[in-house]
Amino acid sequence: MSQLSRLVRIARTDFSYFFRTKWLMAVLISLSLSDMLVVGLVYGRLIPSKFAGLTYFQFLVPGIVVVGLFSAATDTGRRIWLALREGVVQYYLTLPIRTGGLVGAYIISGGLGGIVYSGALLAIAYLALSFLGASTIPIQGILYALALVPFLFILATGIAGLAAFFASVSRRGEIYWVYAQALQVSMVTISTVFYPAQTIAQYLPAPVATIAEYNPLSLAAGALRTSAFAGNPLDTIVLTNLLATSLPLAMLGAFAYWIILRTIRLKGKP
Amino acid sequence: MFAVETLDLSKRYGKTDALRGLNFTVNEGEIMVILGPNGSGKTTLLMILCTILKPTSGTAKVVGIDVVEEGTKVREVMGIAFQEARGFWRHKPSSILRFHASMFDIDPAKRQDLIERTMKDLELWESRDKMFMHLSGGQAKRLETAKVLIQQPKLAIFDEPTSQVDLRGKRKIWDKIRELRDQGSTIIVATNEVREAEYLADRVTILHQGQRVVCDTIPKLKDAIAGGDIVEVDFEDPVSGKLVDDLNGLGGDVSLSSEGNQLRAKVSRAEDWVPKMTSASYIAGAKIASIRITEPSLDDVFLHFTGKALVDQP
Repeated sequence: MSQLSRLVRIARTDFSYFFRTKWLMAVLISLSLSDMLVVGLVYGRLIPSKFAGLTYFQFLVPGIVVVGLFSAATDTGRRIWLALREGVVQYYLTLPIRTGGLVGAYIISGGLGGIVYSGALLAIAYLALSFLGASTIPIQGILYALALVPFLFILATGIAGLAAFFASVSRRGEIYWVYAQALQVSMVTISTVFYPAQTIAQYLPAPVATIAEYNPLSLAAGALRTSAFAGNPLDTIVLTNLLATSLPLAMLGAFAYWIILRTIRLKGKP
Repeated sequence: MFAVETLDLSKRYGKTDALRGLNFTVNEGEIMVILGPNGSGKTTLLMILCTILKPTSGTAKVVGIDVVEEGTKVREVMGIAFQEARGFWRHKPSSILRFHASMFDIDPAKRQDLIERTMKDLELWESRDKMFMHLSGGQAKRLETAKVLIQQPKLAIFDEPTSQVDLRGKRKIWDKIRELRDQGSTIIVATNEVREAEYLADRVTILHQGQRVVCDTIPKLKDAIAGGDIVEVDFEDPVSGKLVDDLNGLGGDVSLSSEGNQLRAKVSRAEDWVPKMTSASYIAGAKIASIRITEPSLDDVFLHFTGKALVDQP
């Protein structure tokens, strides 16, 4: 069996672990669906004005989808921390796969978790739009959404990488959660996930507005709004920026996790 | 070629030397038991052999492959059952075994049968629907053993394989480990349990404070203790001074004491001394009523070679 197929098997096993964690699924799904179906639909009827040509629902849902992707990908960090605590990582280290392959498997499974979970949210949003007649979905929008999948996957691996980094530097589980929540609050707050760029530029200093503009979550939410919901062609500059901001995060996380595995080999513990 | 060979192997954690220049070999197809108390360096040695740990200095080879230079190749030929069971908490035992089998290229056509048979052999079948996190300590340990059994590696390592396992389970695991050896695997078992070592070992290595104290077969280790075997002889009549003198004259390393009809002898090898003793008694006209031979335990062997008890006394 090749190193690649072993990597895929480990990634698949870790990926399935995310969906086997029922309490986490319950928390994530209930939050995402209540945001989408209650806040999005109900508020959408209360707020008739359009944002950049989109209804409030169409504006909000890409944000929810991106936050769902973020939450699912961040769970990689929790799984890495658990694997370190429970010694599963030592089991992995006895398997016939290179350390780099093991690191890659975790990052890929984080990417897969993010893309599958957020993909499901997007599908639910499309169904809600169809059945509730909140607005119409251009067929091109669905095609553009499919074309966005590889880019969203890269974004999810980047976030998984960041989570891996925090898991690697966390001595205790509680500390990991503090890091993860701080990351979520800062990345979602300083972004255009839930607010238009103009609003941020209006109320926050210019450097913060620039960070928000180039935040990969903003780029992903923007691409979903423009293409998956409004049906406009994908903007290559946005996609390039998305890759340019996500890949370094994935590499940072992979490097941090690799360092931790190397430390285990030297010291016997992280 | 040795199945395992270490040369001047050392491992240091901070200021603590876990292994200190260890030279250790295991022959192909044997069960080598590493006996030592907690902290003797057993687990550190196993962790280095299975490539989890890097040595501070020295070399270690598994079937001729260097564990540092070619770790991935080493991992292809060895399997380890950890002291503390390691498993995916939310997976069932069969799913964990399927993953393990797939990582080691076990023929997919035979995989399911092999897993089912091994789970039944180790009495895990009843627990097949439980998640790993709901298994008892003993069940988790059996699962740990099952991973190595289905893998059938060239080098199988078991770190305290029956701790937390009940007596019946211990016997099953020991038999399966011997079966694995008979199928061609080389086996290392680390333990501080004397019964386990006695049941399994082709040879025993005693580790103490990170160093090899002695390595040999159990009979030879026991024979190496002067006065190692104890022979108690009951005569029909009181033991005479002449008989004691005659028996002292038989030669060898022997220490005799008598009281009434009973004679107690500490000898190196009872199997050599007893026939000579019975002949001398017959010639002296002393009729023997019974003979009891007891041999020292591995605890005694350990005490003899290290000056310390294997298990701390309460």
